[in-house]
Amino acid sequence: MLRSMLACLSLVVVLSHCCRAAWLPIQNVKVRQDPTELGGPKIVIEYDLPDPSISEATPAHVFLRFSKDFGDHWQRVPTDRLRGNGFGLVEKPGHKEMTLWGSEQAGIADLGQVEIRVRALAMARIPAGDFAMKSLPGAGRDESESDKPASNLPLYYMARYETTVAMYTDYLNEVGGEGAGWNRRMSKPDRCGIVQHSDQTYSVVPGRENHPVTYVSWYDAMDFLNWCGLRLPTEAEWEKALRGGFYLDGDQTKKLPNPLPERPFPWGNDAPDADGVFRCNFDGEDDGFARSAPVGRFAEFASPYGICDLAGNVAEWTLDWYSTSYHVGLDGFRVARGGSWMAVPVACDAVTGATQLPLKETSIIGFRGVMAPQR
Amino acid sequence: MSALNRRDFMKTSVGAAAAFAALPQNRSLGANETIRIGVMGLGGRGTYLAERFAERSDTEIAYLCDPNTRRFARAREAVEEAQDRSPKMVQDFRRILDDKNVDVLINATPDHWHGMGTILACQAGKDVFVEKPLSHNIWEGRKMVEAARKYKRVVQVGMQSRSAAYVHKAKDYIQSGKLGDIHLVRIYNMMKHPKQGDTPDGPVPKGFDYDLWCGPAAKLPYNPSRRWLNQWEYSCGPIAGDAVHQFDMARFLTDDIPYPNAVSQTGAINALRDGRDTPDTQMAILEYDGLTMMMESTLWTPYIKKIPASIRDSDQFPNWPFCSTRVEVLGTEGFMYFGRHGGGWQAYNAGGELVHSEYGRQGDKEHRDNFIDCIRTRKRPNADVEIGHQSVLPYHVANISYRVGNKRLEFDAATESFKNCDQANKHIKREYRQGWSIPENV
Repeated sequence: MLRSMLACLSLVVVLSHCCRAAWLPIQNVKVRQDPTELGGPKIVIEYDLPDPSISEATPAHVFLRFSKDFGDHWQRVPTDRLRGNGFGLVEKPGHKEMTLWGSEQAGIADLGQVEIRVRALAMARIPAGDFAMKSLPGAGRDESESDKPASNLPLYYMARYETTVAMYTDYLNEVGGEGAGWNRRMSKPDRCGIVQHSDQTYSVVPGRENHPVTYVSWYDAMDFLNWCGLRLPTEAEWEKALRGGFYLDGDQTKKLPNPLPERPFPWGNDAPDADGVFRCNFDGEDDGFARSAPVGRFAEFASPYGICDLAGNVAEWTLDWYSTSYHVGLDGFRVARGGSWMAVPVACDAVTGATQLPLKETSIIGFRGVMAPQR
Repeated sequence: MSALNRRDFMKTSVGAAAAFAALPQNRSLGANETIRIGVMGLGGRGTYLAERFAERSDTEIAYLCDPNTRRFARAREAVEEAQDRSPKMVQDFRRILDDKNVDVLINATPDHWHGMGTILACQAGKDVFVEKPLSHNIWEGRKMVEAARKYKRVVQVGMQSRSAAYVHKAKDYIQSGKLGDIHLVRIYNMMKHPKQGDTPDGPVPKGFDYDLWCGPAAKLPYNPSRRWLNQWEYSCGPIAGDAVHQFDMARFLTDDIPYPNAVSQTGAINALRDGRDTPDTQMAILEYDGLTMMMESTLWTPYIKKIPASIRDSDQFPNWPFCSTRVEVLGTEGFMYFGRHGGGWQAYNAGGELVHSEYGRQGDKEHRDNFIDCIRTRKRPNADVEIGHQSVLPYHVANISYRVGNKRLEFDAATESFKNCDQANKHIKREYRQGWSIPENV
């Protein structure tokens, strides 16, 4: 059914959901094919990115995926074939236009058979510069790195929200035909909410769209992020995103000093529940959520860069290794940061990490992506 | 219960007879009644055990306990997923002991809490699953045995290889005489440990009751880079803590001779010069009547690997010379490679020919089954507390030898002390921090 439905379309537009936390809205997508004199046919893709909050500090990460067999198999459009202002980091809202060169060589020249999907994530810019690294990478046991914590990072971008159930379901419907990336626990309606159907398609339990996806292994997270052209953050990137650099505009300009560069929480020094104000989703129901909250629900307590839910909600996989003395070289533990809806308030701070086997799928760990431009 | 302070703790630990009368009695367990468990220590091993027991239909994790509340979520989530019921989360294990509806304490703490946690649990009428190495020191191990016997408690030590079927087949093979008389057993434990960081002492993180974590041991200034395994205050060392598995197997295969006559040892910190107390290289020779055991251990040999999971749970053997957890049994007529973790064993005859191979499987589940069975039958478990005491004791002796200058120590089994070194005898028991003690009469 899906195939017949899509076969008549030359383009599938990924529409936004009601909450900003899912894909950013993309409208008026148009695709046409133009001949060129010497370079073979080219495909021109246009769309509108209306979100007024998109800026240099909070850009969109736009990525394109295409299928040349009516949606059976999908792959990311390689950015080195694209020219224009509508892919990768997009720093202004408005009309976008891209040219896809070499489309014939990629087998996507016949628009009658091709589907193209354009998606955009909300990102935040973390300028290059020093910051206060308070934790020890890998809880001090990371053998792949120096014992000395990183204190300076180049420019990178981090997703402003944890990856949601809706986004992950979208991903599964492209790549999860054989069940890859999905496990039965994901169907739990109160802790995740992704249902697998008999035709190997996936849908979201109504109301769970904007909750963070859970029961994802470290490998699932990596696969999803590779799918959309991102990667997991290192622990240092995660920690700097939470408390900010010494200068929030970075070390090149140094015009905007961070008022609390050693803050333990994204919003500052106050405990998550100080003075009866609930600043993130931690253990218990007093914060309004017995389990996970929709991402961005505590947006007023975001990090200095506007990144939401680094404290609480779900802990987040990082790229870093953790090795216990008993398991070196065997088990490849990874570190999840940020506390969760099951964590005590103090554990939602900038330094608490939990070690997990990368295959572990739990209801308290999700993830978000980062992108570091190549220098 | 109301929170106990340390003075209250003294009252329960000192003067055992009076304390016992006041302590809650264990409830009477029906044959099909669910066994309720509290888990003390929520590190990797404690969380693993909590999850495994939560998965059983005949047990329930009623409490999870750790002085560090930052450890709560990972363990709680694992347990809730497994048993679909929420455990109580506590920082102080004495709340578990006070609950008359709790039958079992799983003690998966650092070494310095094994003794006190187990003894108090026995006094409180709980059966105990205590992680290896059984004890922090020789004296404390003996007190743990005494407490288990006095209060008639089942105390199983987390030396799970004792419950693996292939291990018993290896023992049968040796006892059949096919290797001849056994005069030498070599026990290896070759690991790769990281160096400790050199960050300065710092404030104790919020949510972490560091004073309780130190408990009976010295309260060193808090340092986030310090690894308790490397400090004598909290540990008998990473070598003893892991190699005890293999040595326990060596003892099992040679009929559990309880004590060595003497121990020679050489140890050093050769590679990991990071301020640690405990050696990173250790070789010990244990003298028995007609039998010598040799223990060789390192913490800096990455090319010698633990047996990977793909071999532990399949019909394969490790690459023996590069197997970090092997035991070599040398008889007058044959030789045996034996592997921990389900590594199996292979026997060679006097001509050097391979004559018998036996694949292995890990004994973790069987070990837990055995513990639960013994709780109901009141039989001694496969890795009873006294076995645990005798299996870690030679490592305590080797450590003491290291601490007194690598001196050969002659051991008196009757008194569990040294015949030839007063200085060594000072290390049989540790100093207890004021306010925390284990009485002579448990």
